[in-house]
Amino acid sequence: MNYRILVIAVLLVTAALIAGCSQQQAATGVIKIGVIASLTGPASNVGTNMWQSAQVAADKINADGGVTLKDGSKAQLKLIVGDDESTATGGQKAATKLITEDKVDILVGGYSSAVTSSYEQTIADNKIPFIVTGASSPIITHRSDGIDTSYVFHHCPTTDTYGQYTTLFIDQVIRPAVNKKLGAADTRPFRLALLYQDTAFGKGIQTAVNNTITDNRLNIQLVSQQSFKMGESDFRTQLTAIKAANPDALYLGAFPNEGAPAITQARRDIGLSTIFLSAENNDNAQFYKDVGQYGEGSIIESRFSPYTAPAGAVTQDQASFKQAYFAKFGTYPDMMGASTYDGIFIAAKAIGNAGTTDKAAVRQALVDMKMPQVIEAMKNQTISFSPDFRESSFDLWMEQLAMNATAGETRPAIVWPDNLKTTDFILPSWYVAGNSS
Amino acid sequence: MDEFSVILQIIFWGLYAGCIYILLATGLNLIFGVMKVVNFAHGEFLMIGAYITATVFFLTGANPYLIIVLSMLALIGIGAVVERLCFRPILGTGKLNEIFLSIGLIYIIQNGAAMIWGDAWQSIKSPYSGITVPIGPLAVPLDYVIIMVMTAVILCGLYVFLKKTTIGMQMQATSQNRKGAMLVGIDVERIDVISFGLGCALAAAAGTLWVVSGQVFNPYMGSIPAIKAFAIIILGGLGSIPGAIIGGLLMGLAENGAAYFLGGIWKDAISFVILIIVLVIRPTGLFGEKGE
Repeated sequence: MNYRILVIAVLLVTAALIAGCSQQQAATGVIKIGVIASLTGPASNVGTNMWQSAQVAADKINADGGVTLKDGSKAQLKLIVGDDESTATGGQKAATKLITEDKVDILVGGYSSAVTSSYEQTIADNKIPFIVTGASSPIITHRSDGIDTSYVFHHCPTTDTYGQYTTLFIDQVIRPAVNKKLGAADTRPFRLALLYQDTAFGKGIQTAVNNTITDNRLNIQLVSQQSFKMGESDFRTQLTAIKAANPDALYLGAFPNEGAPAITQARRDIGLSTIFLSAENNDNAQFYKDVGQYGEGSIIESRFSPYTAPAGAVTQDQASFKQAYFAKFGTYPDMMGASTYDGIFIAAKAIGNAGTTDKAAVRQALVDMKMPQVIEAMKNQTISFSPDFRESSFDLWMEQLAMNATAGETRPAIVWPDNLKTTDFILPSWYVAGNSS
Repeated sequence: MDEFSVILQIIFWGLYAGCIYILLATGLNLIFGVMKVVNFAHGEFLMIGAYITATVFFLTGANPYLIIVLSMLALIGIGAVVERLCFRPILGTGKLNEIFLSIGLIYIIQNGAAMIWGDAWQSIKSPYSGITVPIGPLAVPLDYVIIMVMTAVILCGLYVFLKKTTIGMQMQATSQNRKGAMLVGIDVERIDVISFGLGCALAAAAGTLWVVSGQVFNPYMGSIPAIKAFAIIILGGLGSIPGAIIGGLLMGLAENGAAYFLGGIWKDAISFVILIIVLVIRPTGLFGEKGE
């Protein structure tokens, strides 16, 4: 009996020692990635999605063997989340804690340009590579106040980019369609109206639209430019003014909680029967639910949709990501989640290419980065960062919403550009073009 | 659309916005008038009213205009509990305590709502969505006409309650002179509970009409309307219900006029510009009395 107890005791001690050794070994082969996301506060929906997408990415990388370092050893990814609380001070706290207490090797995430830019000084002071996957203002890497952003890499299209894409789409697709409907000559100026949030985001879109029209000498006339404050829910007065200007289309520089009621109020209350164009952050399930049947015929500029995928290389990869995310969390990922998923792969690849977690070496690996696109469609199907402002180049698309009887809501289909589209743009039967009277 | 029609349309939107403000500010003023309590968490009762309406609508598919009754009754109960547990113990211990208590309530109620309903923006659709009625040169959606009529009915009901019922008259008496009311045998603590509950019910009515009009809502939606409601009752005169009604309408019209003539970013600021001007000219507000 005593022998049995002795044998069991020896076995337990041995098992504990082995476990301790293996834990020590694992600890040496761990890459710590800090994920900054808004887990609480007004942006917690997006933030939670970003954090969960990061976990799906890390699970996949770890399941595939992890990251190979310079000495040939394999390292597993360990994610540590920092909650920016949807505020600038919360962002500063989260970044400081991840860098100084958790001693992470690289940072990924960051949502809201106002929040993210608030802790870029901390990033500069600590010289830690940071792949921004949620904030969309160009200011993230274009700062003019002297803060060094050389360790910041922007993997999220900026307002400059999507303002430009949307304006070009209007010129190349909507303008000819309206002219055809009216039987008008190509010289007829297209009457575009803007309704934009009075923040860096909305003003960024406004500037991009104006610049694109001027730089490309487009035959587009801005007939009304109305602003609203962030978080507004009543747009009726601005929409009344826009309707009085007789637009051919209305471009909304708005968040989903603003865009959906704006479109609803425009069509239901104001009787504005036009084409509405929204920015990519509106392409989420809640937007489709909120806008209901009033979304029919409208356009969303996008790069990742809950309900469609572009033709081509990323179709299957996006589907696999959505499935893996659903299997783990029971919901579907959104756009900022998709770029954060990419961001974890970019971080892992950069450390793998550098062969070390030395921050200067990882930064250089990001500068030299040329990796195949992950789940988002990129220019030339490659992820690389521009030498001047360290921005990656996305292949954006335009999708048009049509009623889906089964869902009882609208669903998108990609209509532009030609290499990604799955169907053609059509002017809805109820569409009313503007006139100059 | 000619300029005259545009102006008329904007006045109409101003009246609609004014209805929501009137209900919120009248409730706030009722509570202040009787209890002299400054409740910064009043917007949170609007938010709860909005969620109760939406939840019942999602569960039953009932006409959301009818759910307003349920929402108001629920908020009478919730308001009574909040008054009994939170405000009564600190009543008379100083304004600072009331202010901090109500600020604390904002966070507790907002986070509680986020735990129950999540913090995503939501919206519901009115059964009358898409129906318009002609009013002069305008074709206005039926929903907004119903909202204006319902606001008028609720205010008339409140008037009758305050003027014709014993409890209503006791509330007025307590509002005019709390000690005097106690001396003539009015149970002022009971009146406090009723006033607080009724004030919250009016906020719930504002919340219901908010969601029925298709505006989005989330747990944090109440903060800005509450600040505006405070501006309205200061503008109209603390404790004055006619002041809250005129102030609410003025606020709605001024906001929408500013959005049209000056730009959307002036929408919130204009209310406070008017408030400052009124206070400089008439420090007691439009309908306030000296000593309030």
